Amino acid sequence: MFKNYLKITWRNLVKNKSFTAINIAGLAIGMASAALILFWVQNEVSYDRFHEKNDRLYTMYNRSKFDGKLWCWNTTPKPMMKALKQDYPQVGEASRNTANSFLFSVGDKRLNLQGNFVDPDFLTMFSFPLLKGNRLKALNDMKSIVLTEKTAKALFGNEDAYGKTIKIDSVDYFTVTGIMKDLPNNTRFKFGYLMPWKYWEKINGGEEKNWGNNSVQTYITLKPGVTEAFFNARVKDITRSHSDIKDIDVFVHPASKWRLYSKFEEGKQVGGKIETVKLFSIIAGFILLIACINFMNLSTARSEKRAKEVGIRKVVGAGKSSLIAQFMGESLLIALFAGVIALVIIILSLPAFNNLTQKQLFVPYSSVSFWLIVLGFIVFTGLVAGSYPALYLSSFAPVKVLKGTFKAANAAISPRKVLVVTQFTFAIVLIICTIIVKEQLDYAQKRDTGYARNKLAYTFMSGDMSKNYRLIRNELLSSGAATAVTKTSAPITEGWSDTWGFSWDGKEETSKIDFNIFNTDGSFTKTMGLKIIDGRDIDITKYPSDSSAIMLNEAAVKVMGFKHPVGQVVRNGNSKYIVVGVVKDFILQSPYEPVKQMIIQGPSSWFNVIHFKLNDKLSTAQSLKLAESVFKKYNSEYPFEYHFVDEEYDLKFQDEQRMGTLASLFAGLTIFISCLGLFGLATYMAQNRIKEIGVRKVLGASVVGVASMLSKDFLKLVGVAFAISVPVAWYFMDQWLMKYSYHVDISVWVFIVAAIITTVISILTVSSQAVKAALTNPVKSLRSE
Amino acid sequence: MIKITNLEKFYRTEEVETIALNKLSMHVDTGEFVAIMGPSGCGKSTLLNILGMLDDPDEGSYVFNGIEVAHFNERKRADLRKHNIGFVFQSFNLIDELTVFENVELPLIYTGVSASERVKRVEEVLDKMQIMHRRNHYPQQLSGGQQQRVAIARAVVNKPKLILADEPTGNLDSSNGNDVMELLTDLNEQGTTIIMVTHSEHDARYSHRIIRLLDGQTVMENIMV
Repeated sequence: MFKNYLKITWRNLVKNKSFTAINIAGLAIGMASAALILFWVQNEVSYDRFHEKNDRLYTMYNRSKFDGKLWCWNTTPKPMMKALKQDYPQVGEASRNTANSFLFSVGDKRLNLQGNFVDPDFLTMFSFPLLKGNRLKALNDMKSIVLTEKTAKALFGNEDAYGKTIKIDSVDYFTVTGIMKDLPNNTRFKFGYLMPWKYWEKINGGEEKNWGNNSVQTYITLKPGVTEAFFNARVKDITRSHSDIKDIDVFVHPASKWRLYSKFEEGKQVGGKIETVKLFSIIAGFILLIACINFMNLSTARSEKRAKEVGIRKVVGAGKSSLIAQFMGESLLIALFAGVIALVIIILSLPAFNNLTQKQLFVPYSSVSFWLIVLGFIVFTGLVAGSYPALYLSSFAPVKVLKGTFKAANAAISPRKVLVVTQFTFAIVLIICTIIVKEQLDYAQKRDTGYARNKLAYTFMSGDMSKNYRLIRNELLSSGAATAVTKTSAPITEGWSDTWGFSWDGKEETSKIDFNIFNTDGSFTKTMGLKIIDGRDIDITKYPSDSSAIMLNEAAVKVMGFKHPVGQVVRNGNSKYIVVGVVKDFILQSPYEPVKQMIIQGPSSWFNVIHFKLNDKLSTAQSLKLAESVFKKYNSEYPFEYHFVDEEYDLKFQDEQRMGTLASLFAGLTIFISCLGLFGLATYMAQNRIKEIGVRKVLGASVVGVASMLSKDFLKLVGVAFAISVPVAWYFMDQWLMKYSYHVDISVWVFIVAAIITTVISILTVSSQAVKAALTNPVKSLRSE
Repeated sequence: MIKITNLEKFYRTEEVETIALNKLSMHVDTGEFVAIMGPSGCGKSTLLNILGMLDDPDEGSYVFNGIEVAHFNERKRADLRKHNIGFVFQSFNLIDELTVFENVELPLIYTGVSASERVKRVEEVLDKMQIMHRRNHYPQQLSGGQQQRVAIARAVVNKPKLILADEPTGNLDSSNGNDVMELLTDLNEQGTTIIMVTHSEHDARYSHRIIRLLDGQTVMENIMV
């Protein structure tokens, strides 16, 4: 019986080549898209779940009130780690974690690499296996270092790196005490090497005892049997009991929630990335459903051709169940073909998809469970796609189909119409979302940053740059490479520091207001192209007292309530600052948020970055070459690495850009798959109504009249889909835009554009078949009996 | 073998109710060859469909081999049908995607006959119908007469007790038509009961008895000699 089914299925597929192609192509594209998204989802949900101690692994969080709002954040004071280990018997292991960057030299090879400072426990807490070395003591010595395979290869090539020596910056020699297997693609950690915390203490002047500087992540494992709630109740007061800071609660956040549940509002965990994961899972489901709907539509549209076979089979003894089995088998076979093609599509498109999603996903060819899931996925698709056609086709009454009186139902709300409406609703929602996301992106990109990004570059300070800064600055200016130079605490595109320690006359005692902190040695407004609204820029060469000068931005003036800000005194602990100028607000962090209050401190503070405005009169390449020779001259050990502010600024839009690209990709795919189905349906409809068309033409109908009559039916469905999708899309996008303080309003024209796009595409899809049918010579269609 | 009493069948559309069978009663004995005649719309085909358990009556009784089947559900009817009844249609109704052999094999598959037994029985019946040489052809590659012989082969391959033929010669020329009637006569002589709907007086003469219908009722019975 099975062989017989297979035979007839195969012959049917071969006989109706174009429909087989549409069916398989639609299903394959749908399966491939859904599978790619599921790959992504699988990667997201598996983040840091592979650690053996996953269920006991936590990171420390602070919770405190600012401006009446409860905030939670996971940077913690450096001494917290030791306090946890010493005073809390529930804690097993503990490690601090903070990023660093050093110049590595091996022989002639020099590389600037990024890694982390950690405590020795790090290697036993997390399951990052060492290929070489003992994880119990690999980081015990101050000058020991653990490299990932990739870093080892970059430094030592094919040589064995274990036990070898590396020069770090130009000062210290480290021994490689461990080679770590490269980090998997589903961990929050990104480092090329691990260095012991002891070395941090060496280069930063010893152990830090300050509980007020929240600057590292602290990870712990709890001993088996200790619950999160139990420990939270005990650890809550750790900061209070170790310092005079009284307004910070501490709690733990479990490893299983790091990736997907780390958004906090008003001190409570309120989801996070899980929302995107859910949304994408739903989209994957819908794309697959749409592909299945295509299959259902095409199969049932062809029912009149299959009806005779069903009738005959019933007459010669087939029961309904054996017919259902037969049609299910057919759809399973098609799903299998589609699945194979989908796999090919996935393999071919995975690099591009990885690029788009910033992931390193791969097909796990050697995993048995992967292939079982693939098989399950194919069977699931086949069953979903085949269910309705199987029930529909197997229910035909033989008397009717064999007597030739059979006409497939053409009811007002046939399931087929519902299916087409479902498909197009989803496609139109995605089109609307795409337009709005792009609009929002455009809106934010066009927002005035408040400074001049063009030809503005920066470099992180390393080696002798700090020592030779004055020489570097002077020569950059005198050589004509740059027109302005400033030393700052952070790149102009990033907020690295903030504090709520400032006070001023008129400030309420109890209020805690957090300021962004930015440091500059002078020439700040000139280099950045900022506008001074009041007062002047900090300039220590002209005003020797400017070591205690600060500037405010407009937002700071507003929250501090100064009528005449210049000359005001602002305090932080024992330090006293004088306001010398006010700059126009500029975007430091998110281009979607209002500009936060900021204090710009003068030359007596700390610096990490040199910004320089390239000379307009030279080409960028010429200026850079000049700049390079200056940096090489005064910092010869280090390669000259620079960043352009405009490029860095563009990275702020990456997430939204990716969202926009993904939305348009999904929209494109769904509309494509839907149109594939629409095309198939239109073809069958044209064939089925060929006689009607013939009669109409004989009676005088024009080609245009007939073609538009045929197209109208489908456009009505698209119209219904549009009516449903408008409120759905509006609701979702309204929710999405709420995330941004600075956002567009949804305007009517978005819907109009979506309507036009959809209508044009569906007309193009349907009309070719409609026109073809309308052009058929009626003599031909009416003669064939 | 068959006894129907006061059988009624209506067809309803929104505005009109048509009576297809109007309190029709008749019986057919085992081994008989009965022809049913009458003008278009007299209810011949409806009667045949009910006899073949493809359709169920609205009222009345239908006893097949001593079993009341008038209100059997679809599954029970399908089960009874596949073991007892073979069909021959005017338009042959072969499956285009299957070869001659596969078409004839189909009923055996549904009654669960083993593969080797199927080959034996299909070959036997194809041989008898003299279309063995066409076994691997598709229906479209055959003449009308040949197609109808395949259809008859399919109807008899399961050795049914009853064959229902709906104008079996309607789409054939006279010589092919005669061949088909000879085949049916042979089958009848070997013990198969045959009920045939026909428009043709010529074909009806092959039968033992003619039942004439008009407006869903029996109007006359001719016993042939």
